[in-house]
Amino acid sequence: MSTNTFTSKATPAPTSWVSSARFRAFVATFSTVGPVAYCIALYMNWPVFTFHPGTNRFAWGLERAISGEGPNMTWYGWTLTALFTAAVLGYLGALLPERITNKISFNFVWVLPWLAVPFLIWDLRQWWFHP
Amino acid sequence: MNLTEIISVPTFWTIWLLVHLILAVSLLGSLTHQAVSVMLPVRQTAARPGFVTRFRAVPAAGYATAVCILWVLTFLVGSFIYTKYRIYIRIPIEQAGFWWTQGFFDFKEHVASICLTILPAYWFLWKNTLNPEYDIPRKMVTVTLAVACWFLFIVGHVLNNTRGFA
Repeated sequence: MSTNTFTSKATPAPTSWVSSARFRAFVATFSTVGPVAYCIALYMNWPVFTFHPGTNRFAWGLERAISGEGPNMTWYGWTLTALFTAAVLGYLGALLPERITNKISFNFVWVLPWLAVPFLIWDLRQWWFHP
Repeated sequence: MNLTEIISVPTFWTIWLLVHLILAVSLLGSLTHQAVSVMLPVRQTAARPGFVTRFRAVPAAGYATAVCILWVLTFLVGSFIYTKYRIYIRIPIEQAGFWWTQGFFDFKEHVASICLTILPAYWFLWKNTLNPEYDIPRKMVTVTLAVACWFLFIVGHVLNNTRGFA
């Protein structure tokens, strides 16, 4: 009888920088801060830039829709705000001592997106309860 | 030569929509395989493997980089299409009073962005599979991304069919 060796377990050896403490600190901080920063940017309406698709025009920060120019788009700006904030704090996190950064649990990375769901549902209430 | 002299404007955007779809399907397949393989890992078996066993018996770690690249590419192409969607699709949807459809699209964009920010940790966790400390976060982050990807795909698909806009 032959034995098949089907398995899901694959264990590639990490390269040195991938398993380094600094890189761990950077990605753990980046991915923990990212979802929170996005929700804050959304709640506070803090886009890095606003795009006006009707005229293909960019503006720094938040710029309201201008009459005759069509709607404005702030989603790109919120996303960039979150990525920028996460990158900066991730960099600063990588500079901290290892005994501190080791306390940043990777469980935040999956818990925080799930915690964001009720907030997003609440934030979008204008659509759910539109008269 | 202007591109619109070769293909019409609607054809141009339809091609980009199809590119978005192909990337999304690739991403969905990769993440589903990976999520199933981490939740229901296959051990060595003497029996002849069936379809389900083969489905989950993938080298999951090898998907991580591809998933990150596919997520970013799908995100970028979707962002590009969004500029036209905002004017030519969203406004008619609002005028027609499809409020929940609009709400779910906004939900989709938020989920896509939030998941974009957790990709670095996801990649790191899959590049350090030898560390048992990361086993649970790796499983849960992968499942979270897979659930999000299915949500994004279904909402996008339903939206695509709304009033035959696509």
